[in-house]
Amino acid sequence: MRRVLKEEYDVLVVGAGPGGSMASYYASKGGAKTLLVEKSQEIGEPVRCAEAVPRLEEFNIYPSEEFVRSYIKGGYLIAPNGKRIEVKGGKTEGYVVERKIFDKYLAIRSAKVGTRIAVKSRVVDLYPCEDGFKVKVLHLGEEYTVKTKIVIAADGVESSVAEMAGLRCKKNPMEVCSCAEYEMTGVKLLDNHMMEFYFGDLSPKGYAWIFPKGDAANVGLGVIDKKKKAIEYLNEFLEHPILEGRLKDATPVEFKCGGVPVGGPIERTVGDNIMVVGDAAGQVSPLTGGGIYLAMSCGSIAGEVAAKAVKKGDYSMETLLEYERRWKERFYNTLMTELKYKNILQRLGERELNIIAEVMDERLEEIDVKKIIFKVVKKAPSLLKYFGELIA
Amino acid sequence: MRVNYERCGYCGACVGVCKSMALELIENRIVIYQERCKGCKACMIVCPLKALEE
Ligand SMILES: Cc1cc2nc3c(=O)[nH]c(=O)nc-3n(C[C@H](O)[C@H](O)[C@H](O)COP(=O)(O)OP(=O)(O)OC[C@H]3O[C@@H](n4cnc5c(N)ncnc54)[C@H](O)[C@@H]3O)c2cc1C
Ligand code: SF4
Ligand code: SF4
Repeated sequence: MRRVLKEEYDVLVVGAGPGGSMASYYASKGGAKTLLVEKSQEIGEPVRCAEAVPRLEEFNIYPSEEFVRSYIKGGYLIAPNGKRIEVKGGKTEGYVVERKIFDKYLAIRSAKVGTRIAVKSRVVDLYPCEDGFKVKVLHLGEEYTVKTKIVIAADGVESSVAEMAGLRCKKNPMEVCSCAEYEMTGVKLLDNHMMEFYFGDLSPKGYAWIFPKGDAANVGLGVIDKKKKAIEYLNEFLEHPILEGRLKDATPVEFKCGGVPVGGPIERTVGDNIMVVGDAAGQVSPLTGGGIYLAMSCGSIAGEVAAKAVKKGDYSMETLLEYERRWKERFYNTLMTELKYKNILQRLGERELNIIAEVMDERLEEIDVKKIIFKVVKKAPSLLKYFGELIA
Repeated sequence: MRVNYERCGYCGACVGVCKSMALELIENRIVIYQERCKGCKACMIVCPLKALEE
């Protein structure tokens, strides 16, 4: 460990979440000498997640018993009046994983292609120097200065590392979903392979979820609320009549909490010698709060671009902008559209949500927003005011 | 700002909204650098557990 922190690197990745492990994997694979720095004692700990991921075959990662706890066929969207909409197939398919094991699996996968890893090692500062950064790392109370050509900041929701380098990535508090969750056993699920999403006053400006997870289930919610706390909403949700007593015999085996940045991506995700990836970059679906897939995708691009830059011997912002161009090409429009939908959804009350659910088909393969809005406005023209900007 | 360590779930959500860099999460402990805190309360708003107090 101490030896690892005494060398110089081409690429130093901060944070061994899905974003950082994928970034370091592709940087190492591309021939760059890469160090992955994680402040926790154990990679994957503590978990702040509901652990649902889409299919990951495109990364050459195949579902394994090692980390998959449940196979997911789709989800139920549940309106305040209890009406269920079933969405199945396509993009809704995936798994619920054990994040502690999944994150470690991804880190080990990266180490296998040459990444060096430092754990219980916290990045506390960084300074630009000729040809890169000097990164200050604390490990067991001792300070190390590690020289690197490129830094990839994948430090998650905390978003401090790129901020130290002058990139603006701290979020506004009203754009962070505040979450609390129990992993519980003894939950009566609607279906062992379907996720459940609950909308309305039980979880303002967010939603509550029950995701199957092997012998257990993740039961949680995310809210944006200045007064009442996520934990208070969660404790009420556990006894909510909409669940018809399905949690009556359930008991928790783990508690998790956290913040999800749902305000869309940050303005700049690159600078000279630095790229920002994952939650830190706001690469999270504003509608679902899902960020694992995006962190993995954008992390992969950042790792590839870093390796290329090292080969070229040019780590300037112009070269690294390839990362920003590529991730935006793939995800920017979707993220911005979702942001628009989210802003509308957050303004709807229970009455409006019920009307929307009423006009939706009970079984869907994909959610065609335009079609739904058309039907909603036909049924309740007074709701047009919410959707004006989408129709225009 | 003060942290109620009995309530804190060390999730780091508060750190992500502190533009003054007055908060740091060290393993399972939130550290507040009081001299940097501007009292904006952003951290209090996002905390899921009411672990931050004025
Ligand atoms: C309650 C909750 C439920 C969620 N449910 C889902 C879900 O079901 N599906 C989904 O796709 N997403 C979900 N998300 C979002 C998902 O967890 C994140 O989007 C994802 O983990 C982001 O990955 P990342 O690699 O960017 O960051 P992280 O996974 O947060 O990893 C960042 C890492 O950096 C480390 N680090 C931070 N600062 C430093 C430092 N200074 N030095 C060294 N290391 C540092 C941290 O310890 C951490 O290990 C949920 C989030 C929450 C809070
Ligand atoms: S009150 Fe504002 S400045 Fe002070 S710690 Fe909280 S977020 Fe940071
Ligand atoms: S947001 Fe609240 S629970 Fe999470 S680390 Fe900060 S003080 Fe602790």
